[in-house]
Amino acid sequence: MPTEWTNWSGSLCFTPNTIAVPADEDELVAIVRHAALAGRTVRVVGAGHSSTPLVETSDLLVSLEQFSGVLEHNTAARTATVGAGTRLHALGKQLHAVELALENLGDVDVQAIAGAIGTGIHGSGKTLKILSSQLVGLRMVTASGELVEWTEQEQPEELRAARVALGTLGIFTTVTLQLQPAFQLHRREWCAHVEDALDHLEQLVEQNRNFDFYWYPRSDEAKLRTMNSPEARQPDLAFARLLDEQAGWSHEIIPKQRTLRFDEMEYALPADAGPACFRDIRQRVKAKWRRSVGWRLLYRTSAADDSFLSTNYERSSVTISLHQNNSLPYQAYFADLEPILRAYGGRPHWGKKHTLLAAELRPLYPCWEQFQHIRQRLDPQGLLLNTYLRDLFGIDQEALR
Amino acid sequence: MTHGASGRTTWAIPGGHIPLASTGHEPTFVSCDKLCVLNTSATDAQLALTIYYSDRDAVGPYPLSVAARRVRHLRLNDLIEPEAMPLEVPYACVVLSSVPVVVQFSRRDSGQAATAITGGIAFPAAE
Repeated sequence: MPTEWTNWSGSLCFTPNTIAVPADEDELVAIVRHAALAGRTVRVVGAGHSSTPLVETSDLLVSLEQFSGVLEHNTAARTATVGAGTRLHALGKQLHAVELALENLGDVDVQAIAGAIGTGIHGSGKTLKILSSQLVGLRMVTASGELVEWTEQEQPEELRAARVALGTLGIFTTVTLQLQPAFQLHRREWCAHVEDALDHLEQLVEQNRNFDFYWYPRSDEAKLRTMNSPEARQPDLAFARLLDEQAGWSHEIIPKQRTLRFDEMEYALPADAGPACFRDIRQRVKAKWRRSVGWRLLYRTSAADDSFLSTNYERSSVTISLHQNNSLPYQAYFADLEPILRAYGGRPHWGKKHTLLAAELRPLYPCWEQFQHIRQRLDPQGLLLNTYLRDLFGIDQEALR
Repeated sequence: MTHGASGRTTWAIPGGHIPLASTGHEPTFVSCDKLCVLNTSATDAQLALTIYYSDRDAVGPYPLSVAARRVRHLRLNDLIEPEAMPLEVPYACVVLSSVPVVVQFSRRDSGQAATAITGGIAFPAAE
């Protein structure tokens, strides 16, 4: 019997015809081959943390929850092969057990690794790339039901496409990650007036391994977060009040536990444009949205990469994200702010709310066509597409037949 | 001499209305409705706020805590869990506490350059 599916925030809700939970690759291959023969479509879901309708389908939804855990590791080479459905929280613990760690994590760690890679999630830190950049190999079931293995050495162009692919090249079963030796961080949280934070923004970004800040629109205060090696000298911030500090292993220190559900829109901007864009956003929020928006905006940084659909493709980025409680309307708020983020050359986070489709997205991504070519070669019939993805990529339904 | 638990476990503030406009440096002069909660007991107070509106269902609980023998001041503007309260909307607030506390309510309206502050004790409701 069809079961309703709801994403993490509750803003995405649909009823697939079938939810399949394959136990292994053989079962997944059989499911995909059967779907291909029957002319069905398939979407794959990880933790359901995205709030764009990437996984929405009235047909077949495949869950990767059985594909979990660290399968192989090489401590000397700093690599590990893990199940594609492994949640980041569990992954951090399991990697730590073999003395390895992800280079960075986002603000939360509830996502599945394949979904996190596929949508380009990231943490904050000027020299740190988005999580997808750690992908150096994968196994996946393609739309034809073929089991394919790619490595960075053997298929470098394909890997650049696979690193942010929204689950449209194939269904990942394992991913191989380039990691770091397990490391510790000292996290400090500060409260400051946002003007003081902006006055010191450049040095905060430059002097800390990880730095981000939340701005609270109803008080004009900011919560600053810095993370560095415990051995690193960390001067106090004269303009800020220390709220909390904690030291420990990276997978325990970087993400925070959050029970509050929210909807979010995030754009990645050229790094140099970040401060000016934030000032425009702040002005607009204070002028128009304080009546109904009480929650915060998040300002982060991350390094450039070369993945075709990465929001950081060939440019270091500042990301600005807007939050709204999931029980409150977000549409008008996000729609009012989105033009400001776009005016600064912003690229929307693939898994968070935005309104862009192919016509607006194509000019933002110099390797858009290379990606589409690889996708089309692997899935010419569009088995792995839904209505939203066809619109997102500008693919005519008739052309798939 | 130590002071035992003072106050009540249920308080009501019927006249809530967070002003929208502010003048002056923030947060010092931001318009706000504020709760001050005094817990003189030797036990941490676990508070649950419920916000009532004139035209929609109540929202809550908003969980808060006040440590034993401490006072906590908070702007209602800043509450976000379970959701941010709308500004410039009439509301009422009921505070339930796990131990007796004293609740004071005040409003700062800096919408005009001449700052205005009003204040008063919350209503200690029957238990």
